[in-house]
This record gives sequence, C-alpha cells and structure tokens, in this order.
Amino acid sequence: MRTKFAIFVALFSLVGAGAAYAHHSFSTEYDGTKTFEIKGTVSKVEWTNPHARFYVDTNENGKVVTWNMELASPSALARNGWTSRTLKVGDEVTVKGYAAKVAQYRGDARSVITADGRSLFGGASDDGRPDGQ
Amino acid sequence: MQLLGKSQIPNPKLQIPKTGFGICVLGVGIWVVGFGIFAQAQEQRGQLGTVGALGQEVKRPPARTEPAPRLPDGTVSFDGVWVGGGPVNDIAQGLPKGEKLPLLPPAVKLLEYRAQHETDDPHLWCMPMGVPRSTPYPFKFVQDITGSTAPPHLYIIHEGNIHSYRQIFMDGRKHPAELDPTWFGHSIGHWEGKDTLVIDTVGFNDKFWFDRKGTPHSEKLHTTERWTRPNMGTLVNTVTIEDPTYYSKPFTVTFNARLQAPGDELMEYICQENNQYGQAGGHDNPFGK
Repeated sequence: MRTKFAIFVALFSLVGAGAAYAHHSFSTEYDGTKTFEIKGTVSKVEWTNPHARFYVDTNENGKVVTWNMELASPSALARNGWTSRTLKVGDEVTVKGYAAKVAQYRGDARSVITADGRSLFGGASDDGRPDGQ
Repeated sequence: MQLLGKSQIPNPKLQIPKTGFGICVLGVGIWVVGFGIFAQAQEQRGQLGTVGALGQEVKRPPARTEPAPRLPDGTVSFDGVWVGGGPVNDIAQGLPKGEKLPLLPPAVKLLEYRAQHETDDPHLWCMPMGVPRSTPYPFKFVQDITGSTAPPHLYIIHEGNIHSYRQIFMDGRKHPAELDPTWFGHSIGHWEGKDTLVIDTVGFNDKFWFDRKGTPHSEKLHTTERWTRPNMGTLVNTVTIEDPTYYSKPFTVTFNARLQAPGDELMEYICQENNQYGQAGGHDNPFGK
C-alpha cells in the first residue's frame, strides 16, 4: 500500500465547475469518522445518476465479497475529467473512502488508485453551500 | 477489508501528485490548464479530508467582474451556465444579517418534525426542488429563444436535481384565477428597466422543502424573484416569500449564483435512473410507503 497518498483532483478538470455536485447529504448515508481501505477487482461500473457507482470484488478471509462504491454524479465526474471508461471491469484498484452508516459493503469512494498508477478522486457527496460562492 | 482506525489514516492533506501528467487519464479541458491549481480542502470534516466532494478541492478562477453582456435592445443577458442562486442547506442564510425567519407555530412544529425525518426530503428521492431552492448543479436561462429581443417566454433549465425546467410567461398575461398545484408553480415575468427580471410565481404544491433543513411552505406560497446580473460573473436572486400559513409576514432572501467557466455546458442528469439513496444509511423512501 502506498503510504504517501495523493488524492488527485483531476488536474485537467473543468475548474470553474465550482460547487460540489451531489444528490444527497453525506451524513444521512455515510459516517465521516468510519473509513475503509480495500483492494480488489472492479466487477461492474454503473455510469448512472444520481451517482455513478462501481463494484469491487475483494477477498475477505478467503471469501469474495462485493463492495458497492458510490461516486459523484456522471456530470460532476465528467467536469473533473472522468469518463465512463475511466474505470473498467477487471481493473485492480485500491479504494479509500467512508463506510456506510448501516449497510455492509457500501462505501462513499473518496479515492481510487489503479494498478497502473492512476489516482482518481471520486468525491461523492456535496457540501451544500448555500449560494455557490 | 480493513477499517482503518484514526491513527492509521494517512495524512489527509491533498497533494498535487508529482507525476500528475503521467498517471492521470483525466486529460480533458485544455482550456483550463492555466487554472489547473488545486488547493487543499478548506474544510475537513472527515478523516480523509472534507466529506464534501469535488468542488471544495478545486480552486476556482476568480469571479469575472467585467460588465454583464447585453442583448441587442440593451437588456442584460443572463447567458451562461450558473451554479447557486438559491438556498441549499438553510434558506435563512439568505436573510439580511441579524434577521430571522418570521415562523408561525405550525412552521416551527413542522421544522421540528422534519429535523427528525431529514431523509423525507423529496429532493433526495429524485423529486424537483421547487422555488427558490437551488442545487449544486448548474442551470441556465433561455432568455431569447426566438432570436428577437422580446421573447414571449423565458425558461430556466436545471441540470439537476432533477432535470427540469421552469417556464416563465413574458407576454403580459396574468396568473389564472385557479391553478392546480405544481412543483414549480405558474410564473409570469417582466423586466424592470433593462437590468432586473421580475418573476412572480403562485400555484405551488406544498411538497418540496425550501432547503435540507425542511423549511416549509404551503400551497399559498407566493414568490417574487428579482434577478440581476451586476457583473459578468454574478447573478443575484432576491426573492420575497409570502406564505401566511407558515410565516407571519413576507420575508426576503438573497442568493448569488456564480458563472461557470467557459466551455462548461449543462449535462444530462436523469436522477431516477439508479437512485440507491437510503440503502447505505438504512432509510425508507417516504414516497414508496
């Protein structure tokens, strides 16, 4: 695991996109104090609204479990440089994020490191600023 | 799987990777290279950094302050892609400093109830946001669809959430005497001089919340929006809200919208496509009950 961890926020992103784009408040779904880090293989990618998602098969004590990872919306991700092809089925990834409050194996994916060294910021929830300032 | 304890969390500071070009597949938007500077999250509420997402890590270019563009007849143009212009968390944030919402007891009671049922917010379940709520998604005025300088209609198109439009009749008609309640109501508009667009709306349903907090309204809601563009990069929306069911007197809130960078356009956002809201936190859809 890389100890020095760079959350890469889409160097070429559409900077002016500005506000955080998301559908719901973070706190009703995820726990900002409960983090996870898993390694596994992307088994499915959903480039869908209101949130893009990807699923990661990971080994837990010899058993394969599948995590459901939430990203921002496709439009928000696109403004930060993602495309629907950025993550692909079969990619080996390390995902860090915030765990769901209730559901097991669901997470708000904060960053994704791929085996080929790409570091992707996958912010999923918004900050709810009142006026886009 | 490994849940990290606090002491194991890597430094949450955001770092610009030294090998950014080589490791990043996210190479789009050449026009922004000049702005491609990212700052550490200004607000860190979670152990991996702010639990807010994309925008907070992005240092935006300075707001544009040159004069606003004009239509051929001199009327200010609202052209552009905007974010903001309405409440998100709390409509009271738009009040003049020191003022409070003139809440009547039924409003206080409903707010207390909603504070315990925040996941009942229709917006979370892919319902429209109503007026004057805004979302973190962009919107756009379609001000001159005919190519003339005095279009009979004006539209406000919202990318999310949800993908929706507001239709504002600019032809001088009045509100119908009786209206069926709707999420965006019945809007008529006119220009005051060349600088101020006034939108008067009635006929709302009582379903949407003004904000995440659940600040309420009834079907008696009447909004008067006054939109101006004091400079290139800013839209100002000053909204007077009347609703005798929940407020003892009208009140006025002001919210600014910010012009997005050149090249940004509205994108598709079909919220109903795959909404899994509630599953991570264990919440039921109040509309599915």
